[in-house]
Amino acid sequence: MSLVSGAFIGVMIITAILYYLAPKKWKPYVLLVISVIVYSSLGVKSLIYIVISTITTYIAGLLFEKNKHKKLILIVTLVINIGILVVIKSELIKNIIVPLGVSYYTFQVVSYLIDVYKNKYKPEKNIAKYFLYTMYFPYLFIGPINRYDDISKTLFETDKKFNPQCAYNGALRIAWGFFKKLIIANRINVVISTITQNPSEYNGAFAIFAMLLYSIQLYADFSGGIDIVIGFSKVLQINLKENFNNPYVSQNIQEFWRRWHISLTSWFRDYVYIPLGGNRCSKLRNYFNTIVVFLLSGIWHGVNYILWGLFHGICLIIGKFIKVKNKYVNTIVTFLVVSFLWSFFIWPNAMQALQMMGSVFTTFNYPELFSNILNLGLNLANYIVLIIAVILLIIYDLKKEKINTKLKSLSTDTKIAIFAIIVWLALVFGMYGIGFNASDFIYNKF
Amino acid sequence: MKKFLKILVVLILIVLIFCLTNNLLMPKYMDSLVEGSMISQYYDEPKNHEVVFIGDCEVYANFSPMVIYEETGITSYVRGSSQQLLWQSYYILEETLKYEKPKVVVFNVNAMRYDKPVSEAYNRLTLDRMKWSKEKYEMIKASMTDEESMSSYIFPILRYHSRFDQLTKEDFEYLFKKKKNTYNGFLINKNVKPVESLPTKRKLANYQFSDITYSYLDKITNLCKENNIQLVLIKAPSVYPFWYDEYDQQIQDYADKNGLKFINFLDNVDEIGIDYTTDTYDSGLHLNLYGATKLSKYFAKILQEQFDLTDYRNDESVNSYYQERLKEYHEETGL
Repeated sequence: MSLVSGAFIGVMIITAILYYLAPKKWKPYVLLVISVIVYSSLGVKSLIYIVISTITTYIAGLLFEKNKHKKLILIVTLVINIGILVVIKSELIKNIIVPLGVSYYTFQVVSYLIDVYKNKYKPEKNIAKYFLYTMYFPYLFIGPINRYDDISKTLFETDKKFNPQCAYNGALRIAWGFFKKLIIANRINVVISTITQNPSEYNGAFAIFAMLLYSIQLYADFSGGIDIVIGFSKVLQINLKENFNNPYVSQNIQEFWRRWHISLTSWFRDYVYIPLGGNRCSKLRNYFNTIVVFLLSGIWHGVNYILWGLFHGICLIIGKFIKVKNKYVNTIVTFLVVSFLWSFFIWPNAMQALQMMGSVFTTFNYPELFSNILNLGLNLANYIVLIIAVILLIIYDLKKEKINTKLKSLSTDTKIAIFAIIVWLALVFGMYGIGFNASDFIYNKF
Repeated sequence: MKKFLKILVVLILIVLIFCLTNNLLMPKYMDSLVEGSMISQYYDEPKNHEVVFIGDCEVYANFSPMVIYEETGITSYVRGSSQQLLWQSYYILEETLKYEKPKVVVFNVNAMRYDKPVSEAYNRLTLDRMKWSKEKYEMIKASMTDEESMSSYIFPILRYHSRFDQLTKEDFEYLFKKKKNTYNGFLINKNVKPVESLPTKRKLANYQFSDITYSYLDKITNLCKENNIQLVLIKAPSVYPFWYDEYDQQIQDYADKNGLKFINFLDNVDEIGIDYTTDTYDSGLHLNLYGATKLSKYFAKILQEQFDLTDYRNDESVNSYYQERLKEYHEETGL
């Protein structure tokens, strides 16, 4: 099941109806039952992993209270949970089932475990509620990685009545997610697939073209998926933290990581970087900590992404030494560096990515790119649609707060019309259906 | 109240715009791929047919109801479509019986060789313009290939949205109207492409028609029996794809068992007068207008002599319509 499938739309509608029809006290349990059904429908066998992670961390949380062996319990539970993640992600066992959202729920249970260990909050005693924290199905598809203290209040809240404003905001956010995924990300995917399928011909200028387009694709794809998850949660009046904040306006790599995949970055910050000493140590040690965090982030993405993580860490450190006053130059340079490093995501392995990155400086086939631009899978009409959609995306992202404030003040009929326009655009200009096989989100695989 | 009215107006507008977009993006099948509009043209025709043909392209290309009427006064209609599969023929017959009760149903057995959906494109040609009914729903369920979904039939925009950059004059011209591009379901093709070589009789691993095709043939037979309709099984005289003796025997056995008439026109090619150098438009897959005219005259005689059918040439209410259509038919065919 993909987030942009008819099945998922159906699941969202049924869930919202049952959630609000359920008696107050039952709401979290209704959500849990639906989550278990959805998760099981995607593979009953993978349930075992999420159950192990949930139960081990639940018990550990309870055992921390007044226990002399707190640290031992913490270490054992961390080893079990991170061990499962490492075994699954490293594919050490052949044909192992990769459970949906294994990274996301593992990060969530680890953060819960450490927070309870540090007495940041009390452990959850109700196991059903704790299961809901790990199994709330929308986030398992693409994130964001939630924190127990952030999400528990609205996730377990029972005193909720259907709120038309929340439902509208949520539905609009979902529609916007579809817009980004179907019109922008899927359209760019056609070009990227053409370029990556023929690396011997499509290198140099084609590689740069792919890198720049991929920056937009990944953002539209990932943030589009997050929009759907956050939007649906808004309908249920469950508040999830934002995962993106205009990442491509960043003036340096450090800022980029404060704005991109925020839930992952902040997780690494709180549970790896700061425990290592963060920046309250010598400069050299701080650089070391930074490199470690980015290496871990790279490893989490997969073996092919270790260099990507390392380069990001190095670029972040270099950025601390270079100060350019012009903010536009900073933004452009940061965007170019980030785009360049997405190469590790574009091409199938690190070696090929390095070759393509090298070809940028050795192969100057710009005339070929311009003469072949319409042979890369998209015709002129589709490029025009893409450009207009990207402009709309940029305008919205830059003026988000103003637009959202304005939206609130509009009359109901205008609001409905705006929602319908976005749905209409996604329906007509989206790339989906027969002959098009890119409904999966890039970040599903992580 | 004013607020409520405004919302209502917006909702109505939204529905209208979505419907309009849906219609605009859906292929019209009027000037190009006309095979896609054949099933729906039936709805606008007078329902007074004593003979109804069902089956694949071997009926709509080979039998001309206009010729049959002109020769005998027997009213007939061809409810054929490209690669019409057996279950599609069954549901089309079921649908037809909701509109009229013919005396004779003629079914071309070529589809017996296909026991699973062939392609989405063919499904679309048969199903896209069909009116919504229980039969259509069942037909879609039976016909869908793995890549298809029911939702894309209910909301064709989900299938045809990518046509936004392929819209032609035809899409706008026929947005709100349609035209007749067949004569009682017969599609005129005047091109000539002779048979250059006869197909080789390649040995097959299995000649047995499958249980699923037999089950639908049974359904067609039973439906006809229940409605007191004479079912005639035919094999049109197409030389491609090869029709095996083993196929023929199975159909003959089935016809004998169920008391049905089976005519294999491949056995009567000389008697009909078909000349494969002039009477086919695609080297023997289908007959062209000239071949179809010969075959229709031949079959008209069989219908007249062997079945109790009405000569409507003396019935002014029916004849006037057919005379008008015949005039157009002669003008278009030049025959």
